[in-house]
Amino acid sequence: MKVDEIMTKKLAIIDAGATIYDAIESMIDKRIRSLLVKPRDEKDVYGVITVRDIVYKVLGKNLDLNKTKVGEITSKPLVCVDKGMDVEHAVNLMTKFNITRVFISEGKEIIGIISLLDVMSAELIKKAREGRGA
Amino acid sequence: MLKKVFGGSTEQKVIDNINKHMQILFSASECFEKGLEKWDKDQMYYVADLEREGDSVRREIISTIYEGAFLPFLRTNICRFVEIVDEAFDALKDAALEFENLGSRLDEEIMDDCIKIAEINKQMCDMLMIAFGTLFNKGDLREKTLAIRIYEKKVDDMKFDLVSKLRKKEVKDFWEGRILSDFVSYLTHISDVIEDASDYLHIINLSMR
Repeated sequence: MKVDEIMTKKLAIIDAGATIYDAIESMIDKRIRSLLVKPRDEKDVYGVITVRDIVYKVLGKNLDLNKTKVGEITSKPLVCVDKGMDVEHAVNLMTKFNITRVFISEGKEIIGIISLLDVMSAELIKKAREGRGA
Repeated sequence: MLKKVFGGSTEQKVIDNINKHMQILFSASECFEKGLEKWDKDQMYYVADLEREGDSVRREIISTIYEGAFLPFLRTNICRFVEIVDEAFDALKDAALEFENLGSRLDEEIMDDCIKIAEINKQMCDMLMIAFGTLFNKGDLREKTLAIRIYEKKVDDMKFDLVSKLRKKEVKDFWEGRILSDFVSYLTHISDVIEDASDYLHIINLSMR
Protein backbone atom coordinates (compact mmCIF):
# COMPACT_ATOMS: atom_id res chain seq x y z
CA MET A 1 0.00 0.00 0.00
CA LYS A 2 1.34 3.41 -1.01
CA VAL A 3 1.17 6.49 1.20
CA ASP A 4 -0.81 8.55 -1.29
CA GLU A 5 -3.61 5.97 -1.18
CA ILE A 6 -4.32 6.71 2.46
CA MET A 7 -3.12 10.28 2.92
CA THR A 8 -5.35 13.18 3.88
CA LYS A 9 -5.15 16.15 1.58
CA LYS A 10 -6.58 18.44 4.22
CA LEU A 11 -3.62 20.66 5.06
CA ALA A 12 -3.80 23.95 6.85
CA ILE A 13 -0.97 26.44 6.70
CA ILE A 14 -0.05 29.15 9.17
CA ASP A 15 2.58 31.90 9.23
CA ALA A 16 5.48 31.55 11.62
CA GLY A 17 4.67 35.04 12.87
CA ALA A 18 1.09 34.17 13.88
CA THR A 19 0.27 33.75 17.56
CA ILE A 20 -0.42 30.45 19.28
CA TYR A 21 -3.97 31.67 19.81
CA ASP A 22 -4.38 31.94 16.01
CA ALA A 23 -3.03 28.42 15.66
CA ILE A 24 -5.46 27.02 18.24
CA GLU A 25 -8.34 28.81 16.56
CA SER A 26 -7.38 27.37 13.17
CA MET A 27 -7.03 23.84 14.55
CA ILE A 28 -10.40 23.96 16.26
CA ASP A 29 -12.18 25.48 13.26
CA LYS A 30 -10.76 22.92 10.89
CA ARG A 31 -10.88 19.98 13.32
CA ILE A 32 -7.22 19.10 12.75
CA ARG A 33 -4.31 18.44 15.08
CA SER A 34 -1.39 19.97 13.22
CA LEU A 35 -0.59 22.95 11.06
CA LEU A 36 2.04 23.36 8.40
CA VAL A 37 4.21 26.39 9.19
CA LYS A 38 5.28 28.50 6.21
CA PRO A 39 8.97 29.15 5.68
CA ARG A 40 9.99 32.65 6.85
CA ASP A 41 12.08 33.28 3.74
CA GLU A 42 13.56 31.51 0.75
CA LYS A 43 16.31 29.93 2.82
CA ASP A 44 13.90 28.64 5.42
CA VAL A 45 12.00 25.33 5.23
CA TYR A 46 8.48 24.23 6.13
CA GLY A 47 7.83 23.29 9.74
CA VAL A 48 4.97 21.80 11.74
CA ILE A 49 3.15 22.73 14.90
CA THR A 50 0.97 20.15 16.64
CA VAL A 51 -1.52 20.07 19.48
CA ARG A 52 1.14 18.30 21.51
CA ASP A 53 3.60 21.16 20.96
CA ILE A 54 1.00 23.68 22.11
CA VAL A 55 0.10 21.74 25.23
CA TYR A 56 3.65 20.86 26.28
CA LYS A 57 5.54 23.94 25.17
CA VAL A 58 3.02 26.70 25.76
CA LEU A 59 0.10 25.72 27.98
CA GLY A 60 2.26 23.49 30.19
CA LYS A 61 4.66 26.37 30.78
CA ASN A 62 1.94 28.97 31.30
CA LEU A 63 3.12 31.10 28.40
CA ASP A 64 0.87 33.79 27.00
CA LEU A 65 -1.08 32.46 23.99
CA ASN A 66 -1.35 35.91 22.47
CA LYS A 67 2.33 36.74 22.83
CA THR A 68 3.98 33.46 21.91
CA LYS A 69 4.59 33.10 18.20
CA VAL A 70 4.09 29.91 16.21
CA GLY A 71 7.68 30.13 14.95
CA GLU A 72 8.99 29.79 18.51
CA ILE A 73 7.69 26.26 18.96
CA THR A 74 7.72 24.99 15.37
CA SER A 75 9.42 21.68 14.72
CA LYS A 76 11.74 21.67 11.70
CA PRO A 77 12.48 20.18 9.28
CA LEU A 78 9.39 18.21 8.34
CA VAL A 79 9.59 14.47 8.16
CA CYS A 80 8.41 13.79 4.61
CA VAL A 81 8.09 10.83 2.31
CA ASP A 82 7.51 10.79 -1.40
CA LYS A 83 3.92 10.02 -2.48
CA GLY A 84 4.96 6.75 -4.10
CA MET A 85 6.54 5.28 -0.97
CA ASP A 86 5.12 2.34 0.94
CA VAL A 87 3.13 2.96 4.11
CA GLU A 88 5.56 0.65 5.89
CA HIS A 89 8.35 3.12 5.23
CA ALA A 90 6.30 5.96 6.73
CA VAL A 91 5.58 3.82 9.79
CA ASN A 92 9.30 3.14 10.19
CA LEU A 93 9.95 6.87 10.18
CA MET A 94 7.21 7.44 12.75
CA THR A 95 8.77 4.82 14.98
CA LYS A 96 12.32 6.10 14.49
CA PHE A 97 11.50 9.74 15.22
CA ASN A 98 8.69 9.03 17.68
CA ILE A 99 6.22 11.15 15.73
CA THR A 100 2.56 10.63 14.96
CA ARG A 101 2.36 12.12 11.48
CA VAL A 102 4.41 12.18 8.32
CA PHE A 103 3.99 14.62 5.45
CA ILE A 104 3.69 13.46 1.87
CA SER A 105 5.57 15.31 -0.82
CA GLU A 106 5.56 15.44 -4.58
CA GLY A 107 8.80 17.07 -5.64
CA LYS A 108 9.18 20.10 -3.40
CA GLU A 109 5.48 20.42 -2.77
CA ILE A 110 3.72 19.08 0.32
CA ILE A 111 0.53 17.41 -0.90
CA GLY A 112 -0.79 15.53 2.10
CA ILE A 113 -0.30 14.04 5.53
CA ILE A 114 -0.73 10.64 7.12
CA SER A 115 -1.23 10.10 10.81
CA LEU A 116 -1.13 7.02 13.02
CA LEU A 117 -4.93 6.90 12.84
CA ASP A 118 -4.81 6.84 9.03
CA VAL A 119 -2.34 3.96 9.10
CA MET A 120 -4.42 2.04 11.63
CA SER A 121 -7.66 2.60 9.67
CA ALA A 122 -6.05 1.57 6.39
CA GLU A 123 -4.65 -1.61 7.95
CA LEU A 124 -8.04 -2.53 9.43
CA ILE A 125 -9.77 -2.00 6.09
CA LYS A 126 -7.11 -4.04 4.33
CA LYS A 127 -7.58 -6.85 6.85
CA ALA A 128 -11.37 -6.73 6.42
CA ARG A 129 -10.97 -6.96 2.63
CA GLU A 130 -8.64 -9.92 2.91
CA GLY A 131 -11.51 -11.78 4.57
CA ARG A 132 -13.50 -11.74 1.33
CA GLY A 133 -14.73 -15.21 0.50
CA ALA A 134 -13.21 -16.64 3.69
CA MET B 1 -24.35 -19.79 9.22
CA LEU B 2 -27.62 -18.57 7.76
CA LYS B 3 -27.15 -20.93 4.87
CA LYS B 4 -26.44 -23.94 7.08
CA VAL B 5 -29.45 -23.43 9.31
CA PHE B 6 -31.93 -22.29 6.67
CA GLY B 7 -30.48 -23.74 3.52
CA GLY B 8 -33.74 -24.37 1.61
CA SER B 9 -34.25 -23.36 -1.99
CA THR B 10 -36.43 -20.33 -1.19
CA GLU B 11 -33.87 -19.16 1.36
CA GLN B 12 -31.13 -19.60 -1.21
CA LYS B 13 -33.16 -17.59 -3.69
CA VAL B 14 -33.45 -14.74 -1.16
CA ILE B 15 -29.72 -14.86 -0.40
CA ASP B 16 -28.84 -14.81 -4.10
CA ASN B 17 -31.18 -11.91 -4.68
CA ILE B 18 -29.79 -9.93 -1.73
CA ASN B 19 -26.32 -10.41 -3.21
CA LYS B 20 -27.66 -9.31 -6.58
CA HIS B 21 -29.32 -6.27 -4.98
CA MET B 22 -26.02 -5.19 -3.40
CA GLN B 23 -24.10 -5.91 -6.58
CA ILE B 24 -26.45 -3.56 -8.46
CA LEU B 25 -25.89 -0.93 -5.76
CA PHE B 26 -22.15 -1.31 -6.24
CA SER B 27 -22.53 -0.94 -10.02
CA ALA B 28 -24.69 2.16 -9.56
CA SER B 29 -22.06 3.68 -7.22
CA GLU B 30 -19.36 2.90 -9.76
CA CYS B 31 -21.42 4.49 -12.51
CA PHE B 32 -22.00 7.56 -10.37
CA GLU B 33 -18.29 7.90 -9.58
CA LYS B 34 -17.34 7.62 -13.27
CA GLY B 35 -20.02 10.14 -14.27
CA LEU B 36 -18.72 12.58 -11.69
CA GLU B 37 -15.08 12.10 -12.66
CA LYS B 38 -15.76 12.65 -16.34
CA TRP B 39 -18.56 15.18 -15.72
CA ASP B 40 -20.67 12.95 -17.90
CA LYS B 41 -24.36 13.57 -17.25
CA ASP B 42 -25.41 10.72 -19.54
CA GLN B 43 -23.69 8.29 -17.21
CA MET B 44 -26.09 9.42 -14.47
CA TYR B 45 -29.09 8.11 -16.42
CA TYR B 46 -27.70 4.64 -15.88
CA VAL B 47 -27.79 5.24 -12.12
CA ALA B 48 -31.56 5.80 -12.34
CA ASP B 49 -31.89 2.66 -14.51
CA LEU B 50 -29.94 0.61 -12.01
CA GLU B 51 -32.06 2.01 -9.17
CA ARG B 52 -35.20 0.74 -10.95
CA GLU B 53 -33.55 -2.64 -11.44
CA GLY B 54 -32.70 -2.65 -7.73
CA ASP B 55 -36.33 -1.87 -6.91
CA SER B 56 -37.56 -4.87 -8.83
CA VAL B 57 -35.02 -7.15 -7.09
CA ARG B 58 -36.09 -5.75 -3.71
CA ARG B 59 -39.75 -6.52 -4.47
CA GLU B 60 -38.83 -10.06 -5.42
CA ILE B 61 -36.84 -10.53 -2.19
CA ILE B 62 -39.71 -9.28 -0.01
CA SER B 63 -42.24 -11.45 -1.85
CA THR B 64 -40.10 -14.55 -1.52
CA ILE B 65 -39.60 -13.91 2.19
CA TYR B 66 -43.34 -13.57 2.76
CA GLU B 67 -44.00 -16.67 0.71
CA GLY B 68 -42.29 -18.48 3.56
CA ALA B 69 -38.53 -18.15 3.33
CA PHE B 70 -36.77 -18.09 6.71
CA LEU B 71 -38.29 -18.45 10.14
CA PRO B 72 -40.79 -15.68 10.98
CA PHE B 73 -38.61 -14.03 13.63
CA LEU B 74 -35.86 -13.51 11.05
CA ARG B 75 -38.06 -12.15 8.29
CA THR B 76 -38.55 -8.65 9.71
CA ASN B 77 -34.85 -8.05 10.17
CA ILE B 78 -33.93 -9.36 6.73
CA CYS B 79 -36.67 -7.24 5.13
CA ARG B 80 -35.48 -4.19 7.04
CA PHE B 81 -31.91 -4.80 5.88
CA VAL B 82 -33.06 -4.96 2.26
CA GLU B 83 -35.12 -1.80 2.70
CA ILE B 84 -32.13 0.08 4.13
CA VAL B 85 -30.02 -0.99 1.15
CA ASP B 86 -32.82 0.35 -1.00
CA GLU B 87 -32.61 3.69 0.83
CA ALA B 88 -28.96 3.86 -0.27
CA PHE B 89 -30.20 3.40 -3.86
CA ASP B 90 -32.64 6.28 -3.36
CA ALA B 91 -29.97 8.61 -2.00
CA LEU B 92 -27.65 7.70 -4.87
CA LYS B 93 -30.39 8.28 -7.44
CA ASP B 94 -31.29 11.63 -5.85
CA ALA B 95 -27.63 12.68 -5.95
CA ALA B 96 -27.47 11.64 -9.63
CA LEU B 97 -30.63 13.67 -10.41
CA GLU B 98 -29.23 16.75 -8.67
CA PHE B 99 -25.97 16.27 -10.56
CA GLU B 100 -27.87 16.45 -13.85
CA ASN B 101 -29.25 19.82 -12.75
CA LEU B 102 -25.89 21.26 -11.74
CA GLY B 103 -24.86 23.98 -14.15
CA SER B 104 -21.18 24.50 -14.80
CA ARG B 105 -18.45 22.20 -13.58
CA LEU B 106 -17.70 22.61 -9.88
CA ASP B 107 -14.50 24.17 -8.56
CA GLU B 108 -11.57 21.77 -8.65
CA GLU B 109 -11.29 21.61 -4.88
CA ILE B 110 -14.98 20.82 -4.38
CA MET B 111 -14.93 18.32 -7.25
CA ASP B 112 -11.96 16.46 -5.73
CA ASP B 113 -13.83 16.05 -2.45
CA CYS B 114 -17.04 14.91 -4.17
CA ILE B 115 -15.17 12.34 -6.26
CA LYS B 116 -13.37 11.07 -3.17
CA ILE B 117 -16.68 10.71 -1.32
CA ALA B 118 -18.22 8.90 -4.31
CA GLU B 119 -15.24 6.54 -4.30
CA ILE B 120 -15.60 5.85 -0.57
CA ASN B 121 -19.33 5.19 -1.09
CA LYS B 122 -18.41 2.59 -3.69
CA GLN B 123 -15.87 0.99 -1.35
CA MET B 124 -18.53 0.88 1.36
CA CYS B 125 -20.95 -0.95 -0.95
CA ASP B 126 -18.24 -3.50 -1.63
CA MET B 127 -17.51 -3.88 2.07
CA LEU B 128 -21.23 -4.34 2.77
CA MET B 129 -21.26 -7.27 0.33
CA ILE B 130 -18.22 -8.76 2.06
CA ALA B 131 -19.92 -8.27 5.44
CA PHE B 132 -23.10 -9.97 4.20
CA GLY B 133 -20.96 -12.87 3.03
CA THR B 134 -19.66 -13.41 6.57
CA LEU B 135 -23.14 -14.48 7.67
CA PHE B 136 -22.56 -17.69 5.70
CA ASN B 137 -18.95 -18.39 6.51
CA LYS B 138 -16.60 -18.08 9.41
CA GLY B 139 -15.58 -14.54 8.53
CA ASP B 140 -15.46 -11.87 11.21
CA LEU B 141 -18.52 -9.62 10.82
CA ARG B 142 -17.29 -7.26 13.54
CA GLU B 143 -14.14 -6.56 11.54
CA LYS B 144 -16.15 -5.71 8.41
CA THR B 145 -18.62 -3.44 10.20
CA LEU B 146 -15.69 -1.63 11.80
CA ALA B 147 -14.24 -1.03 8.33
CA ILE B 148 -17.62 0.40 7.27
CA ARG B 149 -17.63 2.70 10.30
CA ILE B 150 -14.10 3.90 9.45
CA TYR B 151 -15.24 4.74 5.92
CA GLU B 152 -18.28 6.56 7.28
CA LYS B 153 -16.13 8.61 9.64
CA LYS B 154 -13.96 9.63 6.69
CA VAL B 155 -16.99 10.82 4.74
CA ASP B 156 -18.24 12.65 7.81
CA ASP B 157 -14.93 14.53 8.14
CA MET B 158 -14.92 15.34 4.44
CA LYS B 159 -18.51 16.54 4.62
CA PHE B 160 -17.59 19.03 7.35
CA ASP B 161 -14.77 20.34 5.19
CA LEU B 162 -16.85 20.39 2.03
CA VAL B 163 -19.68 22.33 3.66
CA SER B 164 -17.16 24.95 4.88
CA LYS B 165 -15.91 25.35 1.32
CA LEU B 166 -19.44 25.56 -0.08
CA ARG B 167 -20.39 28.31 2.34
CA LYS B 168 -17.70 30.49 0.79
CA LYS B 169 -18.82 29.75 -2.75
CA GLU B 170 -20.76 32.44 -4.54
CA VAL B 171 -23.95 31.30 -6.23
CA LYS B 172 -25.90 33.05 -8.96
CA ASP B 173 -29.38 32.42 -7.66
CA PHE B 174 -31.43 30.48 -5.12
CA TRP B 175 -31.77 27.38 -7.28
CA GLU B 176 -28.07 27.04 -7.99
CA GLY B 177 -27.39 27.08 -4.26
CA ARG B 178 -30.28 24.75 -3.49
CA ILE B 179 -29.27 22.17 -6.12
CA LEU B 180 -25.65 22.20 -4.99
CA SER B 181 -26.61 21.89 -1.35
CA ASP B 182 -29.01 19.00 -2.07
CA PHE B 183 -26.41 17.27 -4.23
CA VAL B 184 -23.86 17.31 -1.41
CA SER B 185 -26.47 16.27 1.17
CA TYR B 186 -27.53 13.20 -0.85
CA LEU B 187 -23.94 12.32 -1.71
CA THR B 188 -22.86 12.36 1.93
CA HIS B 189 -26.04 10.64 3.15
CA ILE B 190 -25.26 7.40 1.28
CA SER B 191 -22.50 6.44 3.72
CA ASP B 192 -24.84 6.94 6.70
CA VAL B 193 -27.38 4.59 5.14
CA ILE B 194 -24.77 1.92 4.36
CA GLU B 195 -23.57 2.14 7.95
CA ASP B 196 -27.16 1.59 9.12
CA ALA B 197 -27.39 -1.44 6.82
CA SER B 198 -24.22 -2.89 8.33
CA ASP B 199 -25.69 -2.39 11.81
CA TYR B 200 -28.67 -4.43 10.69
CA LEU B 201 -26.38 -7.23 9.55
CA HIS B 202 -25.12 -7.32 13.10
CA ILE B 203 -28.71 -7.58 14.37
CA ILE B 204 -29.44 -10.43 11.93
CA ASN B 205 -26.30 -12.18 13.06
CA LEU B 206 -27.32 -11.86 16.72
CA SER B 207 -30.87 -12.99 16.07
CA MET B 208 -29.58 -16.24 14.58
CA ARG B 209 -27.65 -17.23 17.69
